[in-house]
Amino acid sequence: MSRNAIVSRVEGERVLVLERIFDAPRELVFQMFKEPEHLKRWWGPRGWEVPVCHIDFRPEGVWHYCMKCVDQNQGEFYGMESWGKGVYEEIDEPNRIVYTDYFSDAEGNANAEMPSTRVTLEFIDQEGRTKLVNRAEYVSAEALKTVMDMGMLQGITETWDRLEERLNELK
Amino acid sequence: MSGDIPDMGMTTLGALAEPNRLNIVELLREGPLTVGEIAERLGLRQPQASKHLKVLSENGIVEVKAEANRRIYRLRPEPFQALDAWVKSFQRVMEERYDNLEDYLRELQGQNRPEQMHENKEE
Repeated sequence: MSRNAIVSRVEGERVLVLERIFDAPRELVFQMFKEPEHLKRWWGPRGWEVPVCHIDFRPEGVWHYCMKCVDQNQGEFYGMESWGKGVYEEIDEPNRIVYTDYFSDAEGNANAEMPSTRVTLEFIDQEGRTKLVNRAEYVSAEALKTVMDMGMLQGITETWDRLEERLNELK
Repeated sequence: MSGDIPDMGMTTLGALAEPNRLNIVELLREGPLTVGEIAERLGLRQPQASKHLKVLSENGIVEVKAEANRRIYRLRPEPFQALDAWVKSFQRVMEERYDNLEDYLRELQGQNRPEQMHENKEE
């Protein structure tokens, strides 16, 4: 079963864009993000299930979910629960969903220390197939922007190390 | 989001949430400096700069090296690599989810179209 290729790119400094074509009509793909019973079937990454998924599908409504690692091969993550919370900002069925994704606890309190992500989902009809465009923008934690700017950091410190060695040799 | 968040990522972001500390990190990207140089460049009092450097050091973000009678601060790359890995893991998680979604959509549409029942996976 061949997979449709995923296209990813970075826009600006901190927007990650993922595009993917699904062989299904737009209305159906949109439902996949709207109905908890559907989301539970696919939202968990590999080895993770979604035992809890509550959705209040309206602007300012909350989507609260739990992912649980059920794969023993994932070692320390096995049995781990990870709670997430989305807050919808805009819903335009079947075209567009905008929400902000937070790390949360079981009670639905967002973790302010972790970065939140503003996600824009666009559902584009392509003759019966659907192109899904997922834009993820890190909105909190200025620090994360710094991190993303720091891809070269390791290279820099290695340069310092070499410079230091060289200077020591010359002493 | 994924559960595989390096603990280091959490403490790094927590420690960098304070603007002066983030400024120190930005400054140290140019190269190692003493506490006096950091205080001067950022217009901080030296005890204040020391206090922030202590937090950064406790969180593994900077390391200090004594050289003659000077203490030189520099960035450690590890916490930033951990955060960078976390950002990349977000992309991986989304790709896995969309792989699942693709399979699930095939399954659903197979159920709706009896002529394609052979594609239908039993639960």
